[in-house]
Amino acid sequence: MSGLPKRILKETERLMSDSPPGISAAPKDDNLRHFDVTVAGPESSPYEGGIFKLELFLPEEYPMNPPKVRFLTKIYHPNIDKLGRICLDILKDKWSPALQIRTVLLSIQALLGAPNPDDPLANDVAQNWKENQSAAIEQAREWTRQYAQ
Amino acid sequence: MEIEEASPPISSKRSSPDLFFPVSDSEEEDVITASGALAGPSSSAVAPSSTATSSRANGHKTQSQSQRTNGKSAEIEFFGSQNSDDIIPLDTRPNASAGPSKIKRPLSQSPPAAIPSDFEQGYLGEFVCEGWSLSKGKGYCSPGSKVIFERPKIKVDEPVIKGNEKMGGPARLVNGKVVGTQKKAIGGKQVTLGSMMSKKAPPPAKKTVGKPVIDSIIRFRNDRGFEVGRLSVQEAGFLTHLLDTGVIALSGHVIDCPQSLSTGSTILLNVKVYLARKAFEKVEKDGRNKEEGSFWQEQKETTEEEAMRKRKDALGALFSRIGVKPIRSNALLLAQKKNGAAQINETSLQHFTDSPKPKRSPSPSKGSNASGGEKGKGKVSAANSDDEAEDEDSGDEAEKLDEEQMNEIDTIYRKAQQGDTRLEETNPPDTFLYTLRPYQKQALTWMSAREKGDESIRDNNSLHPLWEEYAFRKEQTVGQPIEIEDDDDFVDPSRKFYWNPYSGELSLAFPTSNTRAKGGILADAMGMGKTCMMASLIHANMDAEVSSTPPPVAEAEDEPANKRPKFKQVTLSNQWRAIPTVAKPVNVPRATLVVCPVSLASQWHDELGKMSEKGTITSFMWYGNDRVDIERLLAQEGKKKVDVIITSYGTLASEYQKWRKNKDKPTYEGGSLYDHEFLRIVLDEAHNIKNRTALVSKACYELKGQRRWALTGTPIVNRLDDLYSLLHFLRLEPWGHYSFFRSFVTIPFLNQDPKALNVVQYILESCLLRREKTMRDKDGKLIVDLPPKHVDIQVLDFSRPERQIYKHLEDRAKRRFIQLDAEGRAMSNYTSILAMLMKLRQCVDHPLLVLGKMNEDDEFAEKLLDAETGDESSNLKDLIALYAGGAKSADSEKEEVDHAFAAKVLRELGEQETTPICDICSNEMFDEVLLPCYHRCCQDCIVGWIGTCEDQNKPALCPSCSKGPIKLSDLRSIQRKRKRVNPLTGMSINENEEDQKDVVIGKVDLVQSTKLRALVRKLERMKSEDPTVKTLVFSQFTSFLDLIETTLTREGVKWLRFDGSMSQAQRATTIEEFGKKTKEPVVLLISLKAGGVGLNLTMANHVFMMDTWWNEAIEQQAIDRVHRLGQNKSVYVTRYIIKGTVEKRIMKIQRSKTALVNASLSGGGSKDKGASLADIKKIFGLDEDDSEDEVY
Repeated sequence: MSGLPKRILKETERLMSDSPPGISAAPKDDNLRHFDVTVAGPESSPYEGGIFKLELFLPEEYPMNPPKVRFLTKIYHPNIDKLGRICLDILKDKWSPALQIRTVLLSIQALLGAPNPDDPLANDVAQNWKENQSAAIEQAREWTRQYAQ
Repeated sequence: MEIEEASPPISSKRSSPDLFFPVSDSEEEDVITASGALAGPSSSAVAPSSTATSSRANGHKTQSQSQRTNGKSAEIEFFGSQNSDDIIPLDTRPNASAGPSKIKRPLSQSPPAAIPSDFEQGYLGEFVCEGWSLSKGKGYCSPGSKVIFERPKIKVDEPVIKGNEKMGGPARLVNGKVVGTQKKAIGGKQVTLGSMMSKKAPPPAKKTVGKPVIDSIIRFRNDRGFEVGRLSVQEAGFLTHLLDTGVIALSGHVIDCPQSLSTGSTILLNVKVYLARKAFEKVEKDGRNKEEGSFWQEQKETTEEEAMRKRKDALGALFSRIGVKPIRSNALLLAQKKNGAAQINETSLQHFTDSPKPKRSPSPSKGSNASGGEKGKGKVSAANSDDEAEDEDSGDEAEKLDEEQMNEIDTIYRKAQQGDTRLEETNPPDTFLYTLRPYQKQALTWMSAREKGDESIRDNNSLHPLWEEYAFRKEQTVGQPIEIEDDDDFVDPSRKFYWNPYSGELSLAFPTSNTRAKGGILADAMGMGKTCMMASLIHANMDAEVSSTPPPVAEAEDEPANKRPKFKQVTLSNQWRAIPTVAKPVNVPRATLVVCPVSLASQWHDELGKMSEKGTITSFMWYGNDRVDIERLLAQEGKKKVDVIITSYGTLASEYQKWRKNKDKPTYEGGSLYDHEFLRIVLDEAHNIKNRTALVSKACYELKGQRRWALTGTPIVNRLDDLYSLLHFLRLEPWGHYSFFRSFVTIPFLNQDPKALNVVQYILESCLLRREKTMRDKDGKLIVDLPPKHVDIQVLDFSRPERQIYKHLEDRAKRRFIQLDAEGRAMSNYTSILAMLMKLRQCVDHPLLVLGKMNEDDEFAEKLLDAETGDESSNLKDLIALYAGGAKSADSEKEEVDHAFAAKVLRELGEQETTPICDICSNEMFDEVLLPCYHRCCQDCIVGWIGTCEDQNKPALCPSCSKGPIKLSDLRSIQRKRKRVNPLTGMSINENEEDQKDVVIGKVDLVQSTKLRALVRKLERMKSEDPTVKTLVFSQFTSFLDLIETTLTREGVKWLRFDGSMSQAQRATTIEEFGKKTKEPVVLLISLKAGGVGLNLTMANHVFMMDTWWNEAIEQQAIDRVHRLGQNKSVYVTRYIIKGTVEKRIMKIQRSKTALVNASLSGGGSKDKGASLADIKKIFGLDEDDSEDEVY
């Protein structure tokens, strides 16, 4: 564990012992900066019932720079693209070193509950969402059933 | 009958000593000898060899002939009259005849004893040799007939020979009876072999011979004087020189020949070889006693060397021809022979002896006058050329040992130590209060033995390493087969002789390696208690034994010559002089002189005091103004008695200068250290004299003392010559002679002759004791049980501002260097380049070390920053101003502040006991700062965040509330003042303001040092673990120590300071203060240079190395202040390295100690700038890819 900043150790410890509801995160054995993450789809969202896998990586500059997070599970969401990349401001320019892994994951979970098609990453999904929201939601449910259960 | 006939002469040879060679220790005596021989040739001149020869002949010849031969050969025999040559004033120098006692000292490699008076010659052996007939006809010779060998005479020597012949008188059969003169176009006259042989000094002969070197033909005649033939040059060429110089005598007889000779027909001869007395006499070569090194002298010197070399080669050939084998020789030599290394050695020397003249002649006086006593020594050994001595100064760099070689030397140390675990243990006397560890007791045994000259303690009463032992043979009795192989039967073990195959010298006395040097090198690794061991020795051997007081003969002889009036001239030769005894031997020397680095002087004083029972050993610090008249000081009795004088190298050097200047003046009153003979001289940290040309080294050489000790953990610092200087100080023969050392150690070593290491090992075995902490005693236990040492290399990251400042400096330095290099001016600006490097190294410690100066001194700043790019330097100045908090940014006020929150924070600040946790790093806040929004952070964290945002071109918002943007200048530091008074500075903090708030909100000091903060942080943590921890902090920059001081004071940490600017007394007080028991942690700030060596600081067990020094060994030394005997806690070493700076590359270079290191250490005066430039390129990362090991 040597060489790892105290902050990362502390965060990891807390994530393991006291994880936020619906979220789990554990570092990989071979790289303690690399986390396996699962996020449960929020209630009353099209993703409810799904368990989404993500990977999270803490760069060398963390916490000065944000962690890198990506969905591994396929998901139909206007702010998440085919490759699992997430459009979330705190992962970009709104990052603050006071934020933590925990807060990032909670934000992602919240994003699932509140898709924002006006700031899309997956353009086709966003368009569908805007034009035919119920169909889009149905699609999201379908994908959740198909890929996240 | 034949046997009987043969044996009496042999016995007579031994029993009638004065037959031909009465005691001859002087020229006069030689003359007497000669006349004696003249007087009674018939009575006693039964030359044993010839008799024997003739008896051999008897075996093959008829009786009658043998009788005749016998009778005649007695007359022919050359030995009897040989000495008559000595009358001839051929040889004006007081040379060999001056006698062995004189020879002894200057010519170290020569055995100490005289030639026994009864020795005339020794039978070496015989061999079969081919010869050719030069005559025609029958009756010249027949198998078994005796022959006489001779050498053609050299024309120039004619007058000499004539005189000789007259002297020789009727005894000479050959005189006038020259047969076949016409054939001897070259020689003209024939002489007796004896006269040829007795020609005393080869050099003059050589000189007169000049260019047309006489052929190497050896002719032989029959016993009637008719020339018969000559020996084959191939087979017997090597005899020529030996015959000419009188080293050997030959006799022989025909084994086989044609009945009737015709020119060129082969004659098989049996040649018997005898080593003549002459061989064991000193070959002339102490001409250097004459001070004026004239051109003439230089020449002569070389001729002698050449003669010696020829003799050496010839003897070597002869020995192998005859099949003479040493009955004893040094293992080392043996090994060398086996590998032909001796050969390499010879040829390399040959090279030197052959070539020097053209080089030398332009500067005839060089090397002999004031240019250094060392040079004079170059002439000591005939086997060497002093040319080397002249070259050596320029060859320094090349002689640096690389790492691999140093490793080899480590191995040697280890080998040399092998037997040491078996040393006996000696208990120190009761007056010595400390308890010695077993290995220290062993050292005491060894040291006592060394002082008493008892060599057996380590069983090296062995043959001198360069000598071989041989035995003369019994001459074979007639009738036995001529069998050269089974020589063992004929070896006469009672008659031995010794040969030095390196120098060609022969000796009859046993050349021991045992030298008269009393003392040695105690080279135990650092922290093993060398001081303690030496103190025990001082106790154990308080007085000089009576035996050592009478000065040896040689010295007594030399003394008058070297007395005052002539002193100025003799000073140089003083260098090799043996210990001169004090004029008034009434005062038996009993005092010990300890020379040590100034920082250790008081430690010696203290420790001697502590170790000694009251009133037994008193020491006196001979230092600064405390110097007094030495004789008076030491003459004090009773309470004021002084046993040990402690002085520093610096003091000694200045004293030496003064003494040199004044000693010849009539007004000189004496009283300096140099006017006293000490019982014992101890050099502590003796590697201080590793440079043999340094003044301080010379100052040490000149000290008078009976016993000499060098204490050092590193007898070889980085070149073999380092060892030489110690040996020279010890006066260890023969290695203490520079040319000798170079020829047998340095040069072969540089030629990568691995056997050179054997020699080193041999030397070390004989005079050096070294143990390491990791060594185990005979029971397998570690001899020193030191607590473990943990080294933690902390690789830190610059804070942003530091990085910027550093980068700026580095880029500039790099650019400047590239430019200079491109213009080819790098060499001439070498010093300024080194200065730039220095700046970088300082900047790594603390930016203020560089910046502060720039603000104060614009000119300096301009220089440093290179005025050509003025705008950039103003950038830097802005930068500095910015980070120093000087830049105004008043507009930060307009930010809205949550007043309620602010009030809460301020309240908290006043009340809270614990430090809050930083949101960014999750640690307790360190250097807590207040943001404009009243959120708090570590200074590092927020500065880092602001920097990151700048890099990404986004506003730096408060991490917690996203207000902002925040500027560095908006930050306010929060300092919780500690109510503490720094005990040393007496500076009080909040002394009168007890009731005021403890928290001060102030300007942020942004120009902080990463290292310094890391240190403070670590100290805080250590304090919580051990509230009384004592810590050493080393830095090479005292200015950095100043900054550390300030910070520690602010943090309320008690600190002490030790650096080179402090007086001896101050230093002592500091150490004492540091050793006191305290209730709080104490930090001792030490400058690496002043406190890196010698100090004993085992009260501390934490060491911080704040920066990287060029030489790792120095750092190791520093750490060993703590990790040494007496330390009973685990030792923790923390060293701080800043990532991505020069430090990493310095560490790299540190590992491959290269030229730059020297250049830096010597202040850029090195000649070897080319090599260091390459290093500078490396440091700037211009030369190589730095991709590997990016750890730092």
